[in-house]
Amino acid sequence: MTKGTGKQSEENGLLIDRQRCVGCGICASACPFGGISVQNGTAETNAACTLCGTCVELCPAEALSIRREEQKADDGHRDIWVFAELAGEEQLAPVVRELLGKGRQLADARGCRLAAVLLGGAGSFREAELISLGADLVYLCRDASLADPLEQPYAQVLAGMVEQFRPEVFLFGATSFGRSLAPRLAARLGTGLTADCTELAMGEDGLLRQTRPAFGGNLMATILCPARRPQMATVRPGVFAPAAPDPNRSGRVRAFPLPSLSSGIRVREQVQLPPVESIAGAPVLVVAGRGIGSRKNLALVQEFARRMGAAWGCSRPLVDAGWCEHAHQVGQTGCSVAPRLLISLGVSGAVQHLAGIRRAETVVAVNTDPQAPIFQVSQYGIQGDCVEILREWLRQLG
Amino acid sequence: MRILVCVKQVPSGTQVRLDPETRTMIRDARQSVLNPFDAYAVEEAVRIKERLGGQVTVLSMGIPSTERLLRDTMARGADEGILLSDRAFAGADTLATSYTLAEGIRRLGDFSLILCGRMAVDGDTAQIGPELAEQLGIPHVTEVCRIVSLDEREAVVAREAEGVRRTLAVPLPALFTVSREINQPRLPSLAGIRRAAQGSVQVWGASELQTDPERTGLAGSPTKVVETYVPEREQECRWITGTAAEQAAEVLRVWKERKP
Amino acid sequence: MKEILDFRPDFAEYLRDESRKTGTAQSISFPETEEEVRAILRAVCGRKLPVTIQGSRTGLAGAAVPPGGHILNLSRMNRVLGMEQAGDRFLLRVQPGLILSQLRKGLEERSFSTQGWSPEERQVYTRFCRAPEQFFPTDPTETSASLGGMAACNASGARSFRYGAARNHIRGLRMVLADGDVLALSRGQFTAQGRKLRLTTLGGRRLEVLLPTYRMPETKNASGYYAADDMDAVDFLVGSDGTLGAITELTLELLPLPPVIWGVSCFFAREEQAVAFVRKAREQVAFLAALEYFDRGALDILRREKEQSTAFAGLPRLPEPEKAGACVYAEFHCEAEDEALEALYHLGRVLEEAGGSEEETWVARTPLDREQLQFFRHAVPESVNRWIDERRRTEPSLTKLAADMSVPDDCLEQVVALYREGLARYGLESAIWGHIGNNHLHVNILPRNREDYQKGKELYRQWAGQITRMGGAVSAEHGVGKLKAEYLEVMYGPAHIREMIRAKEAFDPDFLLGRGNLFPPPEVKGEQPEVKGEPLEMPGGKPEAKANAQESEANAPAACSRGDTADR
Repeated sequence: MTKGTGKQSEENGLLIDRQRCVGCGICASACPFGGISVQNGTAETNAACTLCGTCVELCPAEALSIRREEQKADDGHRDIWVFAELAGEEQLAPVVRELLGKGRQLADARGCRLAAVLLGGAGSFREAELISLGADLVYLCRDASLADPLEQPYAQVLAGMVEQFRPEVFLFGATSFGRSLAPRLAARLGTGLTADCTELAMGEDGLLRQTRPAFGGNLMATILCPARRPQMATVRPGVFAPAAPDPNRSGRVRAFPLPSLSSGIRVREQVQLPPVESIAGAPVLVVAGRGIGSRKNLALVQEFARRMGAAWGCSRPLVDAGWCEHAHQVGQTGCSVAPRLLISLGVSGAVQHLAGIRRAETVVAVNTDPQAPIFQVSQYGIQGDCVEILREWLRQLG
Repeated sequence: MRILVCVKQVPSGTQVRLDPETRTMIRDARQSVLNPFDAYAVEEAVRIKERLGGQVTVLSMGIPSTERLLRDTMARGADEGILLSDRAFAGADTLATSYTLAEGIRRLGDFSLILCGRMAVDGDTAQIGPELAEQLGIPHVTEVCRIVSLDEREAVVAREAEGVRRTLAVPLPALFTVSREINQPRLPSLAGIRRAAQGSVQVWGASELQTDPERTGLAGSPTKVVETYVPEREQECRWITGTAAEQAAEVLRVWKERKP
Repeated sequence: MKEILDFRPDFAEYLRDESRKTGTAQSISFPETEEEVRAILRAVCGRKLPVTIQGSRTGLAGAAVPPGGHILNLSRMNRVLGMEQAGDRFLLRVQPGLILSQLRKGLEERSFSTQGWSPEERQVYTRFCRAPEQFFPTDPTETSASLGGMAACNASGARSFRYGAARNHIRGLRMVLADGDVLALSRGQFTAQGRKLRLTTLGGRRLEVLLPTYRMPETKNASGYYAADDMDAVDFLVGSDGTLGAITELTLELLPLPPVIWGVSCFFAREEQAVAFVRKAREQVAFLAALEYFDRGALDILRREKEQSTAFAGLPRLPEPEKAGACVYAEFHCEAEDEALEALYHLGRVLEEAGGSEEETWVARTPLDREQLQFFRHAVPESVNRWIDERRRTEPSLTKLAADMSVPDDCLEQVVALYREGLARYGLESAIWGHIGNNHLHVNILPRNREDYQKGKELYRQWAGQITRMGGAVSAEHGVGKLKAEYLEVMYGPAHIREMIRAKEAFDPDFLLGRGNLFPPPEVKGEQPEVKGEPLEMPGGKPEAKANAQESEANAPAACSRGDTADR
């Protein structure tokens, strides 16, 4: 397409060549965001366009293109940072190991250092562990006023560190706190942030390819942050392999002075919640069916669930048999559930039951009958006696 | 009390369909809807108004048809709607969006409370709330499941995450994103729909807001989507074989991977 | 051949359905193809064993409860077999075990496995995927119903106010007969001459069926065989309650989903206001696809369940009891929002004239809000069942007594008065809901004890007679099954029942299929049903098999009426 072949939309980066456009509407029907439609015989974009490029590839008339200004970041930024979030006052959150594992790979690909950033109260001595897990460097700000993880003061300290040491990449765990803190910091720094990434890859140009699910996981998007630094992302926990500790590794620790903090939110109370109260909202759920054989095996199920930090439920026959209360019944006539992981033990999978577990993310089923309908909705299946497997789990969980 | 609620229009349903022949995405002509999480924020604002008095303003950035949505929130008890709509806002990522919303809020004046949904179901980023709070220089709390107490100067709120319940005292003005547990949104009444049809929705563009063109829309967005694709779904059940010990160990591995 | 399995204790769930009655069986099979069904029926019927055909056992009339013999469970025949196009309509060929919710999910996401489809069918599938969303309009409340079951009882539900029952949306079917032969019918292929129907099986056998001669009531109706002059054979097989053969394939006709679907729940202080509103609304307001009713008893149970049960805690908060003593749900199906809005405002005016208030309404215009109202509607029967289950703990023989009768339009006020009078006279607790637009209310008696239960049964028998005199139907949508066979006899009389039996015998001369459904088997033929545990009520069955003397007494009139001395 050459300039001057018709009026083109200049405001946004999707260009429409109106002389070529035949108004077929393929772009409009393909756009996942509703960002383009056909009006008066030609395509028009609107504010919903994200420049994802789906329509460009599909346009049979080759009337669409995307203009991206070649922006380049200034090259004064170095190193990959990960935020060493604490779980409680003294432990590293499990995702930190995963961040360090992935961060190490990215740093090696880029040929730069991997740094961990540790903020916390007086008891937060995790530097040595961070180094053993792959950090070349630990930036540290330790002060009693940072004992509570609060977004405003944390963002203030982190912004100071970033401005002084200029990292190229800064990764956070997509934990509840990470997903609240990272955007606050990104806005403060005026840089881009990609949420809840499940894939990260380092390009030769130093651009981090950040891939994440959208539309409830039905669409994957790869995102770059070409011109601003640091490139920031939160990373979904449980996706990347955790780093293995190597006590012989060495690294440096660099303390950062506490800036004067603006006071804001105060923590009134902090309570550890009892494991899980309702099966409806339980993130991990163990469900027992008739295949557990006898009522006494229900105790094994409950013990297993307790050790997994899971809630437990049952299928309708167990309620009908009087083994369980209705509150535990999973299924259309009981409770519909949406756990991230559902472990189904000896449930054959009546349709009403399957309807009730439809929103479970991952289903692992154990049943003696490989034809049982439960396996049609399972990602993992074990053909076998669930009581035997239960005993094995309890043994392995110690 | 002046309360502001930020809402977003999203496609109805998150299902992505593929054309069986071309393997490309088919977008449904289905109507767009209010982001389901935002309904809880609207409901909470209306309940606060019913309790303490005040006014509820609903703000959105989006295409002109978003006005329909703002009227729907008014049918549920909001008092007025403001729509930020301009070609210049197109292609905005969360940073540019939060900047634009912040400019809209500055033009509207002071609010004691700003409420947002936990996240939008089309993007799933949950970033607008915290970024907007930073742009406005006010504190924020995400995933608030209960407003324990509230007056003009301070809110005490509870949030539950990762097995911990925190009760926080927050000086106002502040921004909260609310979780689904906070309330049960009401349905609009026929009377409410009649009232909303009479109510006012103002539409502001870049010239009204006097936004910096370098900070809105595509130009103001540091992140660029370079590729989208529909992930291949593994439909089949994967059989775990081996001894009972091996089978059990494999499931525990899956558990460690998936547990929150 | 698919295995015929000896009946084992772990198959116990297949002895019952949602009628909560339990039967007995000696063997069971789970075929996956028509070929397997044929082989099984040849083997089992060859040994003259009775066969009960099951789908997903969500029926309320006990049609899937086996009276001994073999259970042919079709729940594993749940594939979508192909797709055709007829004019602008899409036709979907499905197996009978496909669940309604799975069908809906496939339609909504436009995602069916096309494995084994012909190239032409795949082309139709591509057009289907690109076309506006389609739907199957039959909307029984229970979405885990199987399509085969829905065809067998001619299911309907809320939206039949506009779209009619399942029969209207079935273009063709395949049915395996007791001898393993197959009938493959599509609409227009076989039509009766007067009341005589001639069919040819795939095996080349000719069937001559003398159709029953009754005139069916001009209301929503699922009572006994469909019979009319010059009727289509498909209409006869749909609604035959598993008594003629096993449906192995259905051709469903899909409709484009209306672009705008809005629902409104309207609360009224008093029942008369709600009834007056319904009468006016259905005469005056445009685009209505459903008019549903919930009485004070139903709303009270919902209020209680919302408080007490976590499963129902998410229900919307009901207005106070003084403002909400009755509720009417109206649904609009339109092409555009402006016409929907106009109809909605019109409905509002009608509502205020009837004594309601526009403030006391819930309007659902978005999918999420519609889901809320749907949850609300579904919660009513669910919570009533839970309520009954609660009572059964102390009195295990109790079950819910549910009427499913419909009357012509001009009898609406009369039938509501009839129900109220009877319930008051016997002092019974009840919850009434259902398809008031079709004058079709489910009157649910909630017996507190054995005595209430007997009174309720007596009341239903009286109503069956009075409804028949109003020109109504004793079963409007649940089918007759085993539980309502005695009311069918009240409705049509013994001569017509004999005609039905004669028609059945043209298909199933040994009386093996669906034994006890619609009418009792002739005594000389077959084996006596065997009933254990909770009594299975089978009119004309085996009074001495009843666990309880009172029970057999209660069934005595029906048992007698097998002779020619029915009280009429």
